[in-house]
Amino acid sequence: MHIPDGFLGPQTYGPAYGVAGVLWAVGLRRLRRTLDPAAVPRLAVATAASFALMLVTVPLPGGTTVHVTGIGMIAVLFGVWHGFLALSLVYLLQALMFGDGGVTALPVMALTAGLGGTAAAVAVHRACGRWPRPAVFLAGWCGTVVPAVLVAFVLGAQPLLAHDAEGTPLFFPFGWAVTVPAVVLPHLLVGVADGVLAVLAWRALAPGEDAP
Amino acid sequence: MKDRLLLLVYLVLVVTATLVHDARLLLAGALTVTATEFGRRPQSWVRALRAALPFLVAINLGFLIVSKGDLSAAGRVLPLVNARLFFLVVLVFRILPAIDLQRALGFSPTLRFVLILATSQVLAFRRLFGDFEQALAARTTRRPGLRTSLRQGAALGAFFLRRAEHDATEITQALTARGFFLDRD
Amino acid sequence: MIAIEKLSHAYGKRTTLVDVDASIDAGEKIVLLGSNGCGKTTLLKILTGLLEPGGGHVLYDGHQVSPAALRDKTVRRRFRREVGLLFQNPEAMLFNPTVRDEIAFGPRQHDLPDADDRARHWAAQVGVEDLLDHAPYTLSAGQKQLVCLAALLALSPRLLLLDEPTAALDPRSTGWLVDFLQDLPQTLVVATHNLSLATELGERCLVLGEDHTLLHDGDVASLREDTEVLYRANLVHTHRHRHGDQEHRHYHTHDWS
Repeated sequence: MHIPDGFLGPQTYGPAYGVAGVLWAVGLRRLRRTLDPAAVPRLAVATAASFALMLVTVPLPGGTTVHVTGIGMIAVLFGVWHGFLALSLVYLLQALMFGDGGVTALPVMALTAGLGGTAAAVAVHRACGRWPRPAVFLAGWCGTVVPAVLVAFVLGAQPLLAHDAEGTPLFFPFGWAVTVPAVVLPHLLVGVADGVLAVLAWRALAPGEDAP
Repeated sequence: MKDRLLLLVYLVLVVTATLVHDARLLLAGALTVTATEFGRRPQSWVRALRAALPFLVAINLGFLIVSKGDLSAAGRVLPLVNARLFFLVVLVFRILPAIDLQRALGFSPTLRFVLILATSQVLAFRRLFGDFEQALAARTTRRPGLRTSLRQGAALGAFFLRRAEHDATEITQALTARGFFLDRD
Repeated sequence: MIAIEKLSHAYGKRTTLVDVDASIDAGEKIVLLGSNGCGKTTLLKILTGLLEPGGGHVLYDGHQVSPAALRDKTVRRRFRREVGLLFQNPEAMLFNPTVRDEIAFGPRQHDLPDADDRARHWAAQVGVEDLLDHAPYTLSAGQKQLVCLAALLALSPRLLLLDEPTAALDPRSTGWLVDFLQDLPQTLVVATHNLSLATELGERCLVLGEDHTLLHDGDVASLREDTEVLYRANLVHTHRHRHGDQEHRHYHTHDWS
């Protein structure tokens, strides 16, 4: 789902860098000041774990395979704050080390997936705490679907935000009528895969228990 | 210093590319960047094209479908979008491999420290992921079905999450033993 | 130098050490033997003050060793300078941008003026001087282990604890490491499940059993004779041998790993 460079205009990534930048600075400060010696190692391994989870693929009906996001699992296990920083680092490493996804999209991905996805996952997981298995499933599902909705919204806003005098779009050329079905619909399915995977993974992770 | 400068050049070029709205200029930029591969075969073109192709196809086809084949609209919108995307991907392949990320982001010791630990873990996890995939390939004769894939995915997920918990403890202990927290109260 | 008294430990319900008593004198080279999961790593981590003993205690030069006792800054500074632990997984120990910084990290942490000279010296000693400007995470497993060893030695510690140091090494490097460790002036505790390595390395060996108690404390030669202890500690195995149409089984100490 990582957006490449060239699809988002400065009207989008400028403010996004502003907001994400403040959050990153706060995060780094908290890391530097924390008294918990395990904070930095936990962040590093959360990054590696979410990177690894994004490599996992699940076949879709019709013969194609899709990558799951693992955002829900990371969020429930590591919390919103660590999840946000870890996913930001994953997108940074993907963009700068592996040339996958853009640096202009980085803050948008960090905010939609890193913050929106993890916050939604943690919220539903808490809200459904009484039913552990559905809670984990919904966390996995929301961790994928919520970022997809947010990304579809940001992408679809591009023609409105950046166009020339005649109204011709300068960046991503499709409006919401296209982005919402094109991005959100497949992710409703990927979300199911993410949710099922999360439930199975918890079962394997904690024998005899349904949730961590 | 070199790495930080290169990263800065890269970022400035990326921002510039989103401020220029002339397809010809952007293509000329892509050409110029490729031309700086002195004495070597200009590989960034080929690699960039290969990486950008899925997006280019999706955007162009998608646009033609959505605009119901309106070629004049396509002529106004698509050249710019294509040229920009292509220029940016050429930049990635030309500049990024030359940058040592740890050095370039060394302005914050905390950030650099997290990045090194994360990179080291990411590389280890990627290697392990390859092992899992090969092991599955070696044990299956057909393309695995949904059930097998989900089980395998869950095993992978559980493995990496458990491994992450374990490694976090281990790294914290190693840092402590090596005197990382010497002056902490 | 070290006194271990009635030491016990458990991770939740999983017992790792039961009533271990031992003492280590300065200059000794000790091999800590035991099969997988018998508590070797736990013991080393308690000796390094990383884990709190569940029962009993560990004394270093008469001072208590535990995370709580090491909260005192002066005690901690001295202890971390004098005691080094080589982790089984060297990746956990590496977090600097270059091998040079990695080895110089300890000396810099302790404000030693010659940190860079120490880095060069110990890199050369373990044979990684060509890698000084490489990033540690790009190295092979064996090279990482050597870099970690150099990083520990750069502080000239008094006590060096090594957890399965040969696990990532090929036979030639293992041979080199055995010689190298023999020549070190440091007090050594080397944990391994490889009995043949014990014969090469140590004068004295401690054996942890699968019941997490100390089964043997004495010289290596007498241990080799004591088949019962070896079998109980899961350090030897039996398997079928065929010689023509004859078949028999007997104990083995050879190492297949």
